[in-house]
Amino acid sequence: MSKKYDAIIIGGGHNGLVCAAYLAKAGRKVLVLERRHVLGGAAVSEEMYPGFTFSVASYVVSLFRPHIIRDLELAKHGYEVIPMDCSFLPLPNGDSLARWSDPQRSRREIARFSRKDSEIYPEFGKVMTHMGKLAKAVIDYPAPDITSIKPKELSNLLRLGRTFKDLGPDLLHLNTKLVTMSALDFLDLWFESETLKAPMAVSGIIGTFQGVRSPGTAYVLLHHYMGQLDGAFRSWGFSKGGTGGISMACARAAESFGAEIRTEAPVQQVLIKKGNAEGVVLENGDEIIAKTVISNLDPNRTYLKMVGEKYLEDDVLKEIKRFKLRGSSGKVNLALDRVPEFSCRPGDGDHIRGDIAIAPSIDYLEKAFDQAKYGEFSTRPYINAVIPTLTDPSLAPPGKHILSCFVQYAPYNIKEGAENWPKYREAFGDTVVDTMAEYIPGLKDSILYRQVLTPWDLEQKMGLTEGNIFHGELSLEQLLFQRPIASYAKYKTSIPKLWMCGSGTHPGGGIMGAGGELCARSMLTSRSI
Amino acid sequence: MPIKSPFFARTSALCNSMNWKEWAGYYAVSSYGTLHDPEYFAFRYSAGLLDITPLFKYRVKGPDAAAFLSRIMVKNIHKLGVGRVSYCCWCTDAGKVIDDGTVMRRAENEFFVTSADPGYSWFSRFLRGYDVVLEEISEEVAGLALQGPTSRDILKQICDADLNNLKFFSTVKARADGFEIYVSRTGYTGDLGYEIWVENEHAITLWDAIMSAGKNYDIRPAGLDALDVTRVEAGLILKDVDYFNALYALIDDRMSSPYELSLGWTVNLDRDPFNGQASLKAEKENGSKWAIVGLDIDWPQLESLYAKHGLPPEIGSHAWRSSVPVYISADKKYQTGYATSGTWSPILKKNIALATVEKKYENIGNELRIEMTVEHKRYTVPAIISKPQFFNPERKTSNPNSQSDE
Amino acid sequence: MSEKYDIVVIGGGHNGLITATTLARKNKRVLVLEKRSILGGIAAGEEFYPGYRSVGLLHDTSQVRSKIIKELDLEKFGLQFKNSRPTYSLLSKNGECVHLDPNIAKAANEIAKFSQHDADSYREYHEFIGKISDFICGLMDNAPPDLMELGGKQIWELAKKGISLKKLGKKTMMELLKVAPMSVADFLNEKFETDFIKAGIAAPSIYGSYTGPWSSYTTLNLLVWECAANQSIVGGPQALIAAVENAARDAGVDIQTGAEVERILLDRDRKVIGVKLLDGEEITTEVVATSCTPTTTFFNLLEPNQIDYSLEHGIQHYRSRGTTAKVNLAVNKERYFNGEFAEFVRTGNSFDEMERAFDSVKYREFSNEPILDIHIPTIGDPSLAPTGHHVISILVHFAPHYFDEGWSETTKNSLYDHVIKTLEQYCSEISSTLVGFELQSPVDLEERYGLTNGHIFHGEHAVDQLITRPIPSCSRYKTPIQGLYLCGSGSHPGGGITGMPGYLGAKMVLENI
Repeated sequence: MSKKYDAIIIGGGHNGLVCAAYLAKAGRKVLVLERRHVLGGAAVSEEMYPGFTFSVASYVVSLFRPHIIRDLELAKHGYEVIPMDCSFLPLPNGDSLARWSDPQRSRREIARFSRKDSEIYPEFGKVMTHMGKLAKAVIDYPAPDITSIKPKELSNLLRLGRTFKDLGPDLLHLNTKLVTMSALDFLDLWFESETLKAPMAVSGIIGTFQGVRSPGTAYVLLHHYMGQLDGAFRSWGFSKGGTGGISMACARAAESFGAEIRTEAPVQQVLIKKGNAEGVVLENGDEIIAKTVISNLDPNRTYLKMVGEKYLEDDVLKEIKRFKLRGSSGKVNLALDRVPEFSCRPGDGDHIRGDIAIAPSIDYLEKAFDQAKYGEFSTRPYINAVIPTLTDPSLAPPGKHILSCFVQYAPYNIKEGAENWPKYREAFGDTVVDTMAEYIPGLKDSILYRQVLTPWDLEQKMGLTEGNIFHGELSLEQLLFQRPIASYAKYKTSIPKLWMCGSGTHPGGGIMGAGGELCARSMLTSRSI
Repeated sequence: MPIKSPFFARTSALCNSMNWKEWAGYYAVSSYGTLHDPEYFAFRYSAGLLDITPLFKYRVKGPDAAAFLSRIMVKNIHKLGVGRVSYCCWCTDAGKVIDDGTVMRRAENEFFVTSADPGYSWFSRFLRGYDVVLEEISEEVAGLALQGPTSRDILKQICDADLNNLKFFSTVKARADGFEIYVSRTGYTGDLGYEIWVENEHAITLWDAIMSAGKNYDIRPAGLDALDVTRVEAGLILKDVDYFNALYALIDDRMSSPYELSLGWTVNLDRDPFNGQASLKAEKENGSKWAIVGLDIDWPQLESLYAKHGLPPEIGSHAWRSSVPVYISADKKYQTGYATSGTWSPILKKNIALATVEKKYENIGNELRIEMTVEHKRYTVPAIISKPQFFNPERKTSNPNSQSDE
Repeated sequence: MSEKYDIVVIGGGHNGLITATTLARKNKRVLVLEKRSILGGIAAGEEFYPGYRSVGLLHDTSQVRSKIIKELDLEKFGLQFKNSRPTYSLLSKNGECVHLDPNIAKAANEIAKFSQHDADSYREYHEFIGKISDFICGLMDNAPPDLMELGGKQIWELAKKGISLKKLGKKTMMELLKVAPMSVADFLNEKFETDFIKAGIAAPSIYGSYTGPWSSYTTLNLLVWECAANQSIVGGPQALIAAVENAARDAGVDIQTGAEVERILLDRDRKVIGVKLLDGEEITTEVVATSCTPTTTFFNLLEPNQIDYSLEHGIQHYRSRGTTAKVNLAVNKERYFNGEFAEFVRTGNSFDEMERAFDSVKYREFSNEPILDIHIPTIGDPSLAPTGHHVISILVHFAPHYFDEGWSETTKNSLYDHVIKTLEQYCSEISSTLVGFELQSPVDLEERYGLTNGHIFHGEHAVDQLITRPIPSCSRYKTPIQGLYLCGSGSHPGGGITGMPGYLGAKMVLENI
């Protein structure tokens, strides 16, 4: 039997689709198999209530790599991202802080809380831009293997080394700080006002099972400054049509290059013959043969479900079992019959057209984390909310709105066991609505429909193991040449001809597309396909 | 979104051109009329009135005020007499300029400091160990610059200050009609002129008093476009145009020492430690790489370039502020620097510029070549190095019935 | 000005004395200035209750570097030491106890009483420690690389470090890179199943680090401790001080106690020219080595305009949040802890318990159920207490220096009650046998020992504060002030009684003068 496909990609998330597009563009015959009826994986838009399109699991776009947009001509295929102009922090005492892209406007806002901080803010931006150069050097290339002495690896290391050295000793030390310190300690190097630090620090904990005081959370702050390097002032934005809009653009691009995409085609297993991946077996029993198989699933699912323990060497099995994926967040999507109005700053002005953070103090955030550490969801959670309908009215009927709430902490492993999450789902939803209603007095009366996603739901619905939105924790020992495991960190797996392209590979989670692209490139340059 | 200065009610009523820009977060008039020339000539021939409220303003008070400022500034502030004003800059550890401004000693232990960028955070980093109170009063105090040959006569009518004897770079507290003002004989036009500081609540009264007293002296409200021409004529550098704040500059090449800005005369090296001292000492010893110079751009040659295209010279009346390469020869083989701002000087009838060039080319009279684009084509024309103060009238520093000072 | 010294050492603690001795043995004229009336710093034993003497602040001498003992001939000056660490006893609340004997097999046998799985893991764990020990101790026993000047020589030094890392073998190296950034809880959960044993092994990882066991990088702290803890000094910290003092005097070091330095004197070029004492006396020297905390050195001993902004900023943000209190108990019973003969004892029965103890610090409160690091010095040195009586030395984790209620007699008594209540869970007889006590809050520690914010290690042991300790421009003991050197726990390899900052600081002075 001739192999019809050069590659089968398991999972139609954005990384899988990007990978498919790159391979198809290079002339390879590619088939993408998506379990659900919609594409996008965690970056998916779905009409959950008549007329309302939710970005179900994700909410904003940050780091989608610009060269992927260029390479795949995504603009032609409907990629539309509108940058956000404001980060808004309502406070329980009736005050609020809005940070704008206009620097003087931000300075005046911040100066109400600390004059010093308002002036240091641009200095901080400068330092982070330097740090961002380094991060860019890291995320736009496969992770160098520091244990290898192969010339290619060494030259990769040298390239990184040069970037490091160019920083000079002070910035180099700062880089050590950035990688190892807590987000809060790092911000303490510059700022004094909690009202400023709290909403900045949370960018270090989104999607992690860490608090703002946990060592190792500082470097995620960088992501906020990376956009500058890509030539845009702000890196965060709304995707037209919800985050699924990006996935759809990737899908159309892939198809335009000749890739085939099938939905409602759940894969049961990778077909392994004589130790090699030879194709896949669908849940309906069909076998599809291909020269290579690429998994867009997380490492846990890829190795333990799609492959199976019996095909894994002891060392690999041990490392995969060690890979931590503790999900820590949930999502609550609300359909509203009006614009949510914040009592501290009423109106539907620009301040609520960006991201809205419920992070009134450091203690608030830490207490939220403490509950999660001991197996409960936060009763006073950190919430990052957006009202995408103010920017993209097409997502809801005229005059109606969506309030999309990313909620932390909701630990996958609650005390009673993850499988008991459904019992707490509505209580969790109530907590979120109650918390938001403290700032938006009319909220409860305006809710038409509510969708609550616990980490358990994210696992069941999206296939995210333990509900981890990043396919694995972003701690140093699970990054770079150790993501997902040390010996197989370059998109290859321990099974010949089986590759990985999801967020569980370098450079990690978020809607970046980098995993998909780098996997495709690695396969093509190594002539593995 | 910019905010409004306390003079906004008056300035907005007068700004027929609707020509505004943003200055440090404030709305500021670029030019009141469609053309700024009348405002420029007011500065030079009568008097122009400019709202300078957007400058950042600080009060430094306490027994250690002079010691504290001496630690921050490149100048030894201990030596600044009461009632005197100092123009100076402040530096990072590496001796690179952060900002420049004026320090006015209002009393033995009280100073008033102005800056172009917000400076509170930087100044406050050095408070440890000094018995001093640092206050930002930017949004409490409004400022006006009254500049031009008739400015003294106008100002005399509205306050009780002894202006005949107020010397260049001096300041005095005075009484206007029912309120206090501070008058300093300073400015950014390189001419006779004053800056007047007043509490916000009296701002409008002050404006009205000056405008009304100035009627007989051909006073005009003036905007930043006219100011820009005068400051280039006077050879006064501008932050973010001729140099960058070292705290915000991304790369070392964008940072400048006081010496490189030709502000070496403001630096007092041999004294108690101050910010940047060690680096500046080393630079003084080893020499600087750059200098800021004036360029007198050859007019006949420029005229003939235009003539080649059948055109009369088309030089706009606005000062320009973009980077223009400066070469040592017409073949463009070696670029020795770049001009950062320039203008046609209506009073001198010269095409002038301020440029950063390698120190070895800084000598007055040297001929370099500056790039000029004429009818979409790039040429070079000769540019003679000259003192940056192209225009420096005696009245700037002189007092009636006495010899010029400083 | 009186007579001139080659080097003046500020602070007569173990590091200061080791610096002075090392220098004097190279024929330098050295003066040690100690603020207090007694030598020893945090290792100075004092009578805290009539008839009972403490062993100072820290009580663990297992990390004293043997290299120093040999080089300074400390044995000749009366030091007796054992080439193995003491036995640490882990207590459980239900009265069980595991003695972690320095002999791994013996310790594993003890653990096997609770879990064979844990016993096997313990052997494996120590096999791993054994493999990385040379590498870690190599890092500790040498000055850190100079990252300020990444020239050829430094690159070579770094490369050598890299090579010594690769010498571990790929598997060990990969394992080290994998586990070092992990939280100690994740790391030990992979290996062990018995909660109180896990918590007991993890204990040193959270001392002086402003983290709980669930925080990333705590494994690194544990590994460093495990690798370094391989001695014990007979007679504890005081015996070390006594020996070093003898060695110092023998080498000709002048020592002044009760001599508080007010200022380090600099000339206009910011070069050291002497020190000025509180009583006005000025001493001429071109080199000052200070074993004070970095904050004290730069902020209290120099004029504000004598340090550049980058130094000011670096020191200001050097993290040194004290979280430890000290309790000394005078007790009158022969045996404690269910009659177990336990010299070093660790409490804390689960990671959650340790984490909760740390949580309170974040909210500027002390732990209601603190983690206790306990030592009974009278077992080794009965002379510290009346016959048949004991002294119990306890380091209490966590009690923050930044304490909302403020440290007062009332709040100290309240903390003391919590300490005793916690201790009673392990040792019910404690209350009835108490004779007297002393409790020092972080504020007291700051006052008595000059510890900035009461931090027992002169600054937190966090990754960015280890190799480049305290800050990059001062990380090689030299400072931007010409003639001023650091030789205290605020320098590499950090706090605890190791003597290494003092020794390496002295070496750097010798290299430069």
